[in-house]
Amino acid sequence: MNTNINFNELWAKQTSPPPNTENLLVQVKKLKKANLRKLLLTNILLLATSIFIILIWVKYQPQFISTKIGIILIILAMTIFLFVYNKSYSLFKNGKNWQSNKDYLKDLLAIKAKQQFMQSTLLNLYFILLSTGLALYMYEYTSRMKPLIGILAYVITALWILFNWFYIRPKQINKQQSEVNNLINKFEAITKQLE
Amino acid sequence: MVNFEELYKTYWQKIFRLCMGYVNDADIAKDMAQETFIIVWEQLPKFRNESSISTWIFRIATNNCLRQIEKQKRFPKSEMPINLEEEKPESQEPQIQFLYQCISELPEMDRVIISLELENIKQAEIANIVGLSDANIRVRIHRIKEKLTQKFASHEY
Repeated sequence: MNTNINFNELWAKQTSPPPNTENLLVQVKKLKKANLRKLLLTNILLLATSIFIILIWVKYQPQFISTKIGIILIILAMTIFLFVYNKSYSLFKNGKNWQSNKDYLKDLLAIKAKQQFMQSTLLNLYFILLSTGLALYMYEYTSRMKPLIGILAYVITALWILFNWFYIRPKQINKQQSEVNNLINKFEAITKQLE
Repeated sequence: MVNFEELYKTYWQKIFRLCMGYVNDADIAKDMAQETFIIVWEQLPKFRNESSISTWIFRIATNNCLRQIEKQKRFPKSEMPINLEEEKPESQEPQIQFLYQCISELPEMDRVIISLELENIKQAEIANIVGLSDANIRVRIHRIKEKLTQKFASHEY
């Protein structure tokens, strides 16, 4: 049995030809483009919806204050969503990855905890603002309908909102949370190794 | 000003080995090494000589390793074709393979520490990269090496 193995020597024998730097830079550009595209798409989608709603306001000149408040709430919901979404993007981009492992792990855990909080709080806020906004917005138009049809319109909308609130929202939150929780647990386990 | 091409030449193999010790999979290790250099390329203009360039690069590389779990979830290994994993032209010697396998089975921080040690980095610098005291690093390296020697012994190398 050989007890004097030179690990350093064995270690150094593992090599891999470096890919040329041009390839590397091509990858950098691809990565940046893909990230930017995702960010732009979400922004454009929500901005377009907001503009569309504002155009409705301008074109049809709603009479009731409830309609106007409704529109503002809907736009507010989307603006807050966008703001936080964009902010969380830079949160990851600016991870201070030149710190020591110990500090970096601490940072990562803080970021993940923040993300966890943001995801659930934000989603709740988004749903509440959007549903309230929608309910207020509808009032003016349903009040012009026959009462029965107006009530039906509200019932259908309410069902749709309830379905979102009680089914889609918890599902979405659970999915996000379990992912983040897994990572938090894993990072905590690694941090413990440093104690 | 530090030149990226030079850094790349000097550090590619070192970073590749570090990643290889962490995951023991040549393809993933290559990707991780590339990611590291992409970050280095992006951050280099911000490098201010607060630490040595070597400490700086190894911190980025090891931190990137630690974040690997986030990516593994995105590309589950089971989805890869099996035959792709079987060809490993990087290291033919079974002893080398066994060393990397043993290291990749250690706890995450031990993988990082022993990889840096085997790369002949001074223990004071390792302490600086990881964020622990010199004494602590010394004890850990000793223990990990003991573990590795034992594994090699029981494997009759």
